Amino acid sequence: MDTNLYINGFSSFTGDVPAEWFSPYIELRRLRRMEKIVKNTLFCSFQALEQAGLSVQEPKNMGLCIAAGAGSLENTCKFMDSIFEDGDELSSPTAFAGSVHNSTGLALSMHLNIQGPCVTIGQFESSFPAAIMTAVSFLQKGCCEQIVVAVADEVNPVAADYAPKHMDLFRPLLRNVQGPFERFSAALVLGRHPQGARPYQIKSVCMRREKKMNTTPRPICFAQQLVDLLKTNETFSLQDIFCDTQFNLEATPYVKP
Amino acid sequence: MKQPASWIAGHGCICASGNTSVTCYEGALNGCARFLLPKHRVESAYTSGYPVFLVDPAVVLSCPKDQSLSLHFFLTAAKESFAQAGLEPAQLTDKKVGVIVGTSVDASFHCLNVYKNWRNHNTSPQDIVELSHYFASATAQAVSRYFGFSGPFQTIVTACASGTDAIGLADSWIRQGWCDAVLCGGTDEMNLIPYDGFIRLLIASKEKCKPFDKNRNGINIGEGAAAMLLTSQALAKELNLTPKGYVLGYGNSCDAYHPTAPDPQAKGLKQAISFALQEGNLSATDLAFCNAHGTASPANDAAEACAFKEILPALPVWGSKGVTGHTLGAAGAVEAVLTLEALNHQVVPPTWGFAEMDEQIGFSPTQNKLKIHKRAAISTSLAFGGCNAALIIGAQDYGH
Repeated sequence: MDTNLYINGFSSFTGDVPAEWFSPYIELRRLRRMEKIVKNTLFCSFQALEQAGLSVQEPKNMGLCIAAGAGSLENTCKFMDSIFEDGDELSSPTAFAGSVHNSTGLALSMHLNIQGPCVTIGQFESSFPAAIMTAVSFLQKGCCEQIVVAVADEVNPVAADYAPKHMDLFRPLLRNVQGPFERFSAALVLGRHPQGARPYQIKSVCMRREKKMNTTPRPICFAQQLVDLLKTNETFSLQDIFCDTQFNLEATPYVKP
Repeated sequence: MKQPASWIAGHGCICASGNTSVTCYEGALNGCARFLLPKHRVESAYTSGYPVFLVDPAVVLSCPKDQSLSLHFFLTAAKESFAQAGLEPAQLTDKKVGVIVGTSVDASFHCLNVYKNWRNHNTSPQDIVELSHYFASATAQAVSRYFGFSGPFQTIVTACASGTDAIGLADSWIRQGWCDAVLCGGTDEMNLIPYDGFIRLLIASKEKCKPFDKNRNGINIGEGAAAMLLTSQALAKELNLTPKGYVLGYGNSCDAYHPTAPDPQAKGLKQAISFALQEGNLSATDLAFCNAHGTASPANDAAEACAFKEILPALPVWGSKGVTGHTLGAAGAVEAVLTLEALNHQVVPPTWGFAEMDEQIGFSPTQNKLKIHKRAAISTSLAFGGCNAALIIGAQDYGH
């Protein structure tokens, strides 16, 4: 569909963000007990908002869309561990609450002061394109002026262990970073108006399911690819096919008329 | 009156109160549901104390080996939607048909045996197959593949608001011209993780839940699925479909307040309701009733009551979880289908489990069958993480 929307900020990070990097954005004591998946996603969101010229202190008409990949695996595994090790009656309620997919969304909404629409998408490698679609839908409907689209992914320890030994079964997953094998975070700030130092105008965005399964290996995940293209400050047309899904995004640097 | 963009061409439902949308509604009218201790479904130290609402065991047993129970439930409800619409899914394969499914359990890494065996270095070939199936089939993608559709798809995992969000976003895709039709709804199965999890959070009840009651003491987990086939007006006319109802408005807003408790002032819920009314170009007085999230947890019902008294004053409130249980990611969709059935039958069921008014809540939900005449109603959902969603449904004769 054609859009009249803008990418006003972007950021990505692979690995674990050092705590001191947060000091321009948040009191470090607030990071205490924060899950790594949340920390990384929060850091990328702060950076993307900063690039968009937005402060988290100001009240704003902002939404949030999380691409949760495979969800908060650290907490899910912790909860299962607590059942196996301590029994049902001593299993960890904290880990259970944190295992819910939108726990990252909650943490982000609280720390970024976001009170607009908030949705989490969880469909492995196609979560981020799907989250962009939802964000575009909210913006086009006028539900908010700006929306943070954030990727939050963790390593699934079981899949990471099995996959290299069973390439025949796990091959589709090895093509994607937004999947079970890397802790990866990224964030975009999309808006209805150009804002910040280097906005991009989205020319078109579309997602469709192909009837034929694609088996061509992808060198890099969609979110990383997108962030790399945004850094070039050039017009791009990003077409990505993962398994049986095709996603297209065309954008061009915004030039003030 | 604004012409609705999305037609509900068909809908389906399966939960503890029935295997079809009509039997689920009849169960809601009569207070009949499968409410039992889940000893045959989960191995937990709690199974002698905490009953749940479960789907018909015959349906559970008919689940194919290559499908999760959640997917099986959703496909069952989806097939009912197509049957109601008088359509074969193949008739839509040349159209742009999207799929949006809300779930919680089905998108989570709840492969308990696989994980346990991995921890114990005791892997079986079956574990690896099960794990690869889990990663290869996000719920909405699996549904889209099953029916051979080629439009966009989304698996929404906004906890207990997922089903409402799925239908609301499907309506947006139709309004925005992204799709000719969208198969949408929610699904979730009961397993050990949510069963133990909600008990350990101290919000599960050992008795049948009592929505909005003075003595309410928690939720009962449930399972099930509900689906709606939404079409654009143009496609409905092209295929000569008879509307079963309409989606009139959707709103979504987050509290940014607390991980598991709703904002007691219900700021986010009030905003979600306001968005939905605004989108439908409606006011509270146009509505016949509100199907509340009504989990029977003290905090949820109090927060909802706060919003209803301010935004939907004097509107009859119906809580349906006394016959469905809390079906998690499916809840919003199950309740949307029950809301539509109540509108089309012009009778709102009683709120089973409610007996005594709570002064702090300040109203009683429906206690008997309530005859209604207005042709639209609202359904609300609140989720972990402070996500709120509201959906306004119109009856089949809305606007006539």
